[in-house]
Amino acid sequence: MSAGVFTLGGAEREAVLLPELAGLTERHRAACPPYRRILDAIGAAPPYERVCDLPWLPVRLFKTHELRSVPEERVFRVLTSSGTTGQRPSRVFLDREAAAAQTRMLAATVRVVLGERRLPMLVVDSRSVVRDPTLSARGAGVLGMMNFGRDHTFALDERGRVDAEAVKGFLARHGGERFLVFGFTYMVWLHLRGLGADLSQAVLIHSGGWKRLAEQAVDNAEFRRRLAAECGLSRVHNFYGMVEQIGTVFLEGPDGDGLYCPDFADVVIRDPETWQETPVGVPGLIEVVSTLPTSYPGHVLLTEDLGVVRGVDDGSWPGKRFEVLGRLPRAEARGCSDTFGQG
Amino acid sequence: MLDDRTILDACAVDVRFPAGGSVPVEALLGALSTHGVPPRAGDPDKSRPSQAGAAGGSRPSQAGGGVLEVGDGRVREFLAAFGRRLLRPALARRHPELGSLGFFLRPSELARTVEGLGHDHIRVPRGLVFHVPPANVDTVFVYSWALSALMGNRNVVRLSPRSGPVADAIVETLHEALADADPVIAATQRVISYDRSDAVTAALSAACDLRVVWGGDRTVREIRRYALAPHARDLTFPDRSSFAVLRAAAWLCAPRAARVTVAEGFVNDTYWFDQAACSSPRTVYWVGDADDCEAARADFTDHVARVVTVRGWGVDAAMAVEKRVSTYGLAADGLAESVEFHGNALASVRLSAAAAAPRRWLGAGTFAHARLAALPELVALVERRDQTMTHFGFDRAELEELARGLAGRGVDRMVPVGSALSFHRVWDGVDLPAEFTRLVTVVK
Repeated sequence: MSAGVFTLGGAEREAVLLPELAGLTERHRAACPPYRRILDAIGAAPPYERVCDLPWLPVRLFKTHELRSVPEERVFRVLTSSGTTGQRPSRVFLDREAAAAQTRMLAATVRVVLGERRLPMLVVDSRSVVRDPTLSARGAGVLGMMNFGRDHTFALDERGRVDAEAVKGFLARHGGERFLVFGFTYMVWLHLRGLGADLSQAVLIHSGGWKRLAEQAVDNAEFRRRLAAECGLSRVHNFYGMVEQIGTVFLEGPDGDGLYCPDFADVVIRDPETWQETPVGVPGLIEVVSTLPTSYPGHVLLTEDLGVVRGVDDGSWPGKRFEVLGRLPRAEARGCSDTFGQG
Repeated sequence: MLDDRTILDACAVDVRFPAGGSVPVEALLGALSTHGVPPRAGDPDKSRPSQAGAAGGSRPSQAGGGVLEVGDGRVREFLAAFGRRLLRPALARRHPELGSLGFFLRPSELARTVEGLGHDHIRVPRGLVFHVPPANVDTVFVYSWALSALMGNRNVVRLSPRSGPVADAIVETLHEALADADPVIAATQRVISYDRSDAVTAALSAACDLRVVWGGDRTVREIRRYALAPHARDLTFPDRSSFAVLRAAAWLCAPRAARVTVAEGFVNDTYWFDQAACSSPRTVYWVGDADDCEAARADFTDHVARVVTVRGWGVDAAMAVEKRVSTYGLAADGLAESVEFHGNALASVRLSAAAAAPRRWLGAGTFAHARLAALPELVALVERRDQTMTHFGFDRAELEELARGLAGRGVDRMVPVGSALSFHRVWDGVDLPAEFTRLVTVVK
């Protein structure tokens, strides 16, 4: 397994990222008027001493505002996320250059665990998830990952039940060599263990959150232990990423000791009371930084996810290793009206 | 996904006061119909508490048996007992808004309300009143129910099944007061809950003489889909927003103690209901020249920040993020020149123009400041949805002139800073006791 894009230790990463991200801040300030107005209003100005000094945007602003740093005619792709029910989707504007970079860097990231060649790919989902004309976030995720596999086989039929024949056929063709299994964490937990198949040659990549598994008191350690025990599946990589930083995925290391940041990205855990960076081991809100967003001001984003850094330069790969702890609830207020924030 | 509501009886309601379990809506309405209330047999004296006569003047204070009249002594006694219980220190400490409610229900206040009614006509109850309070229970609906009961109406209050501890405390206290109340209270007043049910809402709407809808535009639109009887009418409380206006020079000249008092009043006006109450100010207009306004705004914000700290008002992480999203959004739209945070609890936005004042909720403790050269400039800025104007530093004549200038285009209340949440029987420009009654013309 090549180290690929997981090479930079904490201090070195800071030294590489700071000037690039500070440069992006000024680039977006010049090119994106709403972003400039925000920085002016909060009084954000260089010099920035550290990455955690850079001004961040709440990620939800991509749902409420059109934020782009390229003229409309240079927009090559507009990505949207469905988000929570009743909310407007995020809109992310990519020019050709940004679109190419995100594809390239995502490939470089997954190559670290999949190798150079495209692997046969088993998708723990129904084919219909990528066929739906109004592609869901789940469908988009599957479609994106399909670029890294071949002989795509869907493990579930159109009605969401395990398609034993399809899985059997796939394993007969590829079960003896390295192959890729991809799915959403909860789907994987629900369907993979019951297959009764030997998945010892598989590399599992999964994402999508732990909320429903947490309800069943299944954490990442239990998830990995049971998959290893019941399917022989030991190469398991969870990842964390969002459409607002498309192309940047924080990938779980081979030992399951946390999510790691690719060399062009990092996380800052912030205390939601003081907004200062928390020490290792102290949970807070996750800020994600990445040099990939060049066509929209999404290079420093405060998420609404809670997380904690478990260690720095002390795990399988260099840099911070962190864990996502869950989602911040939406703020609710008492009052006379049932409709807050509706104008 | 299976909708578990479909397997419930679509016509059943949960009677929470007086606790009665699940009851079909027809049975509920049957029991509340005037014919369904049996006249009280025996001891007629007991149904005429002496206290009622004292407060109600020389007229008889209630009709006999199960029929209520305007200012009915039995209702007054019940409301006063309910109010006394709300004022118990333990409860008022836990839910301060219930303390204010208790204060509103003291006998002298109830008497004032009854006596304040005009006497040129015979005033009679409307009949059956159906109240739809907001889902996230604000106590305003209790005021409206209490005034409706005081006016002699039979009432059905729909509480959300999701209602929280404040609603529970209200229902519990109502039960305590019921123990000593005349049976007519239990016979004529109901608090119910039911999951979204067209059948129940339709039945209650068709049966009532007056429907009172709180909860804002969306709830009003939703409830209006259900037809009323031809003679019945709606009393609606749509989305409202409120603002404060302060004279900068008056602030700067005020002694320190006075400024502290105003800051405390402002914090009470805003933080109690996460600044989401319709009467809580969101925008603060400063009247005066630019330098005065800037200095006054800065000093005011310092005072408010200190009060917030001393009182221990804080916001959680979700609210802190909400405030960042809303204020950064204002900046992105070019409406905010500056956004300052004094901890998470207090955010101060300087608007680029007074006309840019946002009406929407921006998160608890988020204040948009703007400058006006003179008070009458408000005339061009006020909108229909503006409800309460809390003020500091203006004399009565200026305020009355402004009210006339606005000519009903907005602003229903002008009250001093600190009184935004004080409920009054005239609310949203509506005289509630009058709305809850009909007038009978008697000419001999």
